[in-house]
Amino acid sequence: MRKGSFRFSLIVMVMAVCLLCAGRARAADPIVIGAPTSLGLIEGKEALKAVEMAVDEINAKGGVNVGGQKRPLQVSSSDIRDGAPGVPVPEALLGIEKIILEKKPVALLIGPFRSEALIAGMDLLSKYKTPLIGSIAMSPASEKKVTEEPDKYKYVFRDCLNGVYLVKYLSGTMDALHKEFGFTKVYVMHQDVAWARGTADLVKKLYFDKAGWEVVEQEAYPTGASDFSSGLMKARSKGAQVIMPIFDMPQGGVLVKQWKSMRVPAIMAGFISPLAGTDAWKTFDGKIGGAINCNFELGSAIASDKVPQSVAFYNKYKEKFGHEVEAGHGPAAAYESVFILAEAIERAGSLDPDAVTAQLKKTDRMGTMGRIRFDEGNQVVYGLDPKETAVGAVFQWTEDGKRRIIFPESLAEGKVLLPAGLKSQK
Amino acid sequence: MFFGTIIYALFNTAILAITALGFNLTFGISGIANFSYGAMYILAAYVSWMLVHLLGLPFWLSVFVSIAITMVLGALIYRFVLLRVRGQVLSEVIATFGIGLGTLELFQYLGFVGFEYTLPVFIDDSFMIGDTVVDWQRLLITIVAGMLVAGLWVFTHHTRLGLAFRGIAQDESTALTLGIDSDLMGMLSVSMGCGLAALASLLIIPLGSISPSEGYDVLIKALAVCIIGGLGSTGGLIVASFIVGFAERFTDAYVGSQWTMIVSLAAILIVLVVKPSGLFGRQKELAERI
Repeated sequence: MRKGSFRFSLIVMVMAVCLLCAGRARAADPIVIGAPTSLGLIEGKEALKAVEMAVDEINAKGGVNVGGQKRPLQVSSSDIRDGAPGVPVPEALLGIEKIILEKKPVALLIGPFRSEALIAGMDLLSKYKTPLIGSIAMSPASEKKVTEEPDKYKYVFRDCLNGVYLVKYLSGTMDALHKEFGFTKVYVMHQDVAWARGTADLVKKLYFDKAGWEVVEQEAYPTGASDFSSGLMKARSKGAQVIMPIFDMPQGGVLVKQWKSMRVPAIMAGFISPLAGTDAWKTFDGKIGGAINCNFELGSAIASDKVPQSVAFYNKYKEKFGHEVEAGHGPAAAYESVFILAEAIERAGSLDPDAVTAQLKKTDRMGTMGRIRFDEGNQVVYGLDPKETAVGAVFQWTEDGKRRIIFPESLAEGKVLLPAGLKSQK
Repeated sequence: MFFGTIIYALFNTAILAITALGFNLTFGISGIANFSYGAMYILAAYVSWMLVHLLGLPFWLSVFVSIAITMVLGALIYRFVLLRVRGQVLSEVIATFGIGLGTLELFQYLGFVGFEYTLPVFIDDSFMIGDTVVDWQRLLITIVAGMLVAGLWVFTHHTRLGLAFRGIAQDESTALTLGIDSDLMGMLSVSMGCGLAALASLLIIPLGSISPSEGYDVLIKALAVCIIGGLGSTGGLIVASFIVGFAERFTDAYVGSQWTMIVSLAAILIVLVVKPSGLFGRQKELAERI
C-alpha cells in the first residue's frame, strides 16, 4: 500500500513538473508579427530593420504584457516584391496570404509598397481578421474603404504619410516658394504609378489652380526611366521657375543629377526618394545642392532637435546598424508601428484581432514623428506641429552637402536658398 | 527646344547604336540571338561597381577588368551551353534567355537594388551649344560609338580573324573546308558581343543608375534596333538607331515620356509586318535563320 502510494505521488509530481514546464513554455511563446514588404528596396529594407530594432527594445524590457503575461515579440518577414517593376499585384497578395497562413501573425507591419497591392489586399486582411499597420503604401483610397465599410476593413491602419498629407506638404512648400520669391510657373515630373499620379493631380487641383500658378506641363515617367533630358529641356524652354518631381524609384536621383549638369534655371522641389539620406551627396557626386526634398516622416532619414524622439531613433539606428537611416519614407513609421501594436495588445489584454483593432484605434502617443493618433479612416493624422500631430520634414540640400529643414515652420532651420541662375521674382 | 531635341536625339542614336552593336555582331557572325545580352550589360556594371566600392580599384581599371570578365563569361556560355544546342534556334534563344533571366533575378535576390548603385562619369563637365547644355559623357559615347562602328568595319575587312568571322557569317560549311574553326569563331563572336555590351554599359550607365530591370529594357532596345535594321546588318543597325533614336526623343519631347518605350515596340511590329527581314536584311536570310 505504501509502495503504491509512493508511486502515485511520484507520478503526480512528474506530471506537475511537466505541466509547469509546459506552462512556462507557453508563457515564453513569442507573439509573431508579420512584415511582408518589398525587401529589395531601401524603404523596405530599412523599415524592416527599424521594426527589428523596436522589437529588440521591447523584448529587452521583457516583452509585451498580454493579460498579465509577458511575451516576447518575434518578426517574420517576407519579400513580396510589389515595389519592383513588372511584379503583378496577385503575386504580392500571394506573399501576404502565405505569411498569414504559415506564420499566423497577430498583425502585419510595413505592408505593401504599391497602393494597388494594399487596396487589393484589404479583402484578404478582412477575411483572415489580421490587422495591418502599413508604413509604405500611400493612396487614401484605402481610408475611403475603411470609412465606407468599417466593419469589414477596420483591420487596415496606416501610420506613414498618405497621399493627401503629402499634397499638403508639397503645397505648403510651393506656397512658401511663392511667398518668398514670387514663383508662379511649375513643371511637374512624376513617376507613372497610382500614388505619384494622384499626388501630382491633387497638388495641381488643390493648390496650383487655386493659387494662380501656371503648370507649364505635367509629365509622367514609367518606373525605371533614367533619361530625363527631354523633360528638363522642356522645363527650361517653357520658363518653369520650379520643377516639382514625385518619384520613389532608385533612378529618381538621376533626375537631380541631370538637372544640375544641364544647368536648368529652376529650383527642384518635391519628392525623390534617393535624395532623402546623407549618402545621397556622395552617391550623386555632390550634384544635388539646392534641391528641396520632402521626407515623409520625421525620423525617416532626418531628425529634428525639436522632437527629441526623432533624434533618439536616428541615433539608435545608426549605432545598431552602423549607418544612418537613408530612406525618407518608412523606417520611422515602421519603428513606431511596433510600439503602437504593443501598446494596443497591452490595453486589449489579449491577441484577439477585434480587441487589438479596437485598441489600435485609441492610440495616442508621442513618438518619432510627433503625436500619433488615428483618424476615422485609420490614418495617422499629419500636420505642421509635432506637439499636436505627426509631422514630415521638407529640407534643402546646401551646396556644401548639408541638409537643412525648411518646412514646416515648427521645425524649420533656415530659409530656402535659390540655385545659381535663378532669380527671385520679387 | 527643337534644336535641343535634335542634339539629344543624336546622342540617343549613338546610345542605341552602341547598345545594339554587340548583339548585332554575335548574330551577324554566328547566327546566335544572345538573349542574355541585357544581363551581360548589367553584370558588367555591377562587376565594375563592386571592384570600385568593395575592392577600391580605380574606375578606369574596373572598366577593363569588368569587360574582360564579361567576355570570359560570354565565352563560357558558348562553350558550356550554346555549343550543345548550336543550330537549334529555339533552344539557343531559350538557353540564353534563361541565363539572362537567372542573372538579373540573382542580382535582384541578392539585394543589388537601390540608388547607391551608380558609376562615375568619365568626364564630369558640360558645355553649351546654342542654348542647349551638352555633357561630355554623352559626347564621349557618340565618339566611341562612331569609332567602334569604324573599327569593326576595319576589323572585319582587314584582319585575319575578322575575315574568318565574315567567312563563317557568309557560309559556315565552306568556311569549315577552308580550315576556319566555326566553334571557335562562334565562341569569339559571343564573347566579343558580351564585351561590347559591357563597354556600352560602362559608358551609358554613368548617366543613370544600375538596376536589374534595366537589363530587360536594354535587350528590348537592342532587339528593336537589330530587327528594324535587319538582323546582322551593321548599316541597318546605324539607320535603325537613327530612326528609333529620333522617334524616341521627339515622342519624349512632343508627345509624352510614358509613350517612349512604346515607340521601339511599335517600330518592331510595323517592320515585321511591312518588311519582315528588316530595312537592310534579306528575306531569304531571315527565313533561313528564324
